[in-house]
Amino acid sequence: MKDFMMIFIGADYQELGLSPEQLQERMGKWFAWNEKMQKQGIVKAGDALVPHVKRVSGPNRTVTDAPLIEGKELIGGYYIVQAENADAVVKIAEDYPDYDLDGTVEIREVMVFDQQ
Amino acid sequence: MENKVVDHLFRHHYGKMVAILTRFFGLSYIETIEDAVQDTFIKATSQWRTQIPDNPEAWLNRVAKNRTIDILRSIQAEKNRNLAITTGASTLQIDELFLDHEVADSQLRMIFVACHPTLHPNEQIAFALKTISGFSIKEIAAALFTKEETISKRLTRAKKIIIERNIQFQYPNPEAIHNRMERVMKVIYLTFNEGFHSTNQDKLVKEDLCGEAIRLCQLLLKKEQFRSGSLYALFALLCFHMSRLESKISSDNQLVNLKNQDRTKWYFPLIKMGNSAMHKAMDYDDSSVYHYEAAIASEHLNAKTFKDTNWRKISYWYEQLHTFEPNMFTLLNHATVCLQLNDLAKTYQLLNCIEVAELGQRGYLYYGCFAEYYLKKGEKDLAISFLDKALLETSNKLEREFLMKKQEKLL
Repeated sequence: MKDFMMIFIGADYQELGLSPEQLQERMGKWFAWNEKMQKQGIVKAGDALVPHVKRVSGPNRTVTDAPLIEGKELIGGYYIVQAENADAVVKIAEDYPDYDLDGTVEIREVMVFDQQ
Repeated sequence: MENKVVDHLFRHHYGKMVAILTRFFGLSYIETIEDAVQDTFIKATSQWRTQIPDNPEAWLNRVAKNRTIDILRSIQAEKNRNLAITTGASTLQIDELFLDHEVADSQLRMIFVACHPTLHPNEQIAFALKTISGFSIKEIAAALFTKEETISKRLTRAKKIIIERNIQFQYPNPEAIHNRMERVMKVIYLTFNEGFHSTNQDKLVKEDLCGEAIRLCQLLLKKEQFRSGSLYALFALLCFHMSRLESKISSDNQLVNLKNQDRTKWYFPLIKMGNSAMHKAMDYDDSSVYHYEAAIASEHLNAKTFKDTNWRKISYWYEQLHTFEPNMFTLLNHATVCLQLNDLAKTYQLLNCIEVAELGQRGYLYYGCFAEYYLKKGEKDLAISFLDKALLETSNKLEREFLMKKQEKLL
C-alpha cells in the first residue's frame, strides 16, 4: 500500500455565492464521502483550508497577501489516503462533490525516502 | 452514523441569524451581517465534513455569535466608536436574542422591514427572499424569471433605501400595521404563486418557495396583533393549494392539470389545517380576496372527481370575487367555469369584458378559452383560428404542445 494525496483545487464556495441550502447539500456530500472512506479505513489525514493565502517568494522573501489568486486556482483542502496505486485513488476521487462547480482533484503519490 | 442535519436547517437558520444580528447591530449593518452569516455556513461546510456536531443549531449559533463579536471589533476599530452601536436592542444581551421567542420576534420585524412602503414591490419580494428566506441571488433570479443582475440591483437599491431613510428594525406603528400587513400578505402570496404556478422550475425550488410562504404565514399567526380574517384566509388558501402540489407535477416534471390529477395524492392533513384556518377567519369581520380564493380552492378539493365539481358554487364565488376586487384573471377564470357549466351566453359575455393586454404573458389563455367556446358552439373554423391566435401569444413549450395537439384534433 502506498500513500496518496488528493488535492482539491477550485470550487471556492465563498466566491461562488452558494446559498445556505446549496451549502448544506455540499456539506452532506462531503460528510458522506468522508464516512465512506473512514469505513474503508483508508484515510490517513485530511483537512479543509481557510481561503486566505499568504505567499513568500524570491530571494528577498517577499511576502504577498494573495487575494489575486482566482477561486478556481485556490487549494481548498486535501486528503491523504492509502491505496494500491494511483488508479485506485482515481476511483476514490470519483465521489469528490464539487466537479459540477468546476472543482478539480489532483492526485499525487507521497514519496517514500529509502532509509538505507 | 446517519446524517443528523435536518432538511433546510441552513436556509432557515440563515434568516434567523440575520434577523437576530440585525436586531443587535441595527439595519445599517445588514450587508456586513449577511456576509458574516454566510461565513458561518462556509465554515460549517468545512468543519462538518468529518464530524457533524451533536447539536448543529447550537453550533451555528455559537459560531455566529463569535462572528458577531468579530464584527463588533472590526467595526469598532474602523470607526473608532464604542460598543454602543445599536439603538434597537441595547437593553438586550445578545444571548437572550438567541432564545426562540426572540428569534421569531426578530424575524417578524424583518418581514415588516422587507415590506416597508418606500421599497418597490419588486424590491420587497427580492429582499424578503434573500434576507428572510435565505435564497441566493441565483435562486431568486430563477424563481422570479429575472436576470441575476436585475435581482442584485434590486437588493442593492433596497439596502440603500433602508440605510438612507434610516429605517428602524421595528414593528410599524399600530395605525400603520393594517396597511403594512396588506403588503406583507401580498409578498407571501406572490412568493407562493411563484412556486405554485410557474411552469419551468425544478420541483425543489417550487416546494421551497411554497414552504417558505407557509412558514412566514405561520410565524405571523403566532402573534395576536397580526391576526386577522385575511391572514387566516391566506393561510387556508396556501394550505389548500399546497395539498395539491405533489399531484400537480408528474414524475418527469410536467404540469398536470386539475382534471387529470390523481386526487388520492392530495395531502389531507394540509386540507384539514386549511379548513380550520377558514373557520378561524370567520371570527373576524374583515374580508379579502384570499377569502374568496380560499373558498374556490376549497370547493375544488371537496369534489371527489373532476366531474363532481360544484361548478355552480365556484361560479358564484368568482362573481363575488370580481365584485370585491375587479380583476381580468378572475373574469377569465370565471369564463372557464361557465364553459364547464355549458353556459355559453355567460361565457361569451365574460370574455368580452376582458382587456387582453392586461393578461400579459397569459393572454394565450384568453384565446384558448375563446377557442373552447367556439368548439362547444360547433363552430370549428373559428375555434381553429382562435387556437392560432393563442399559439402566437405563447412561447412556452409545454403550452404550445398542448395547444397544437388540440388543433390537430380539429383539422
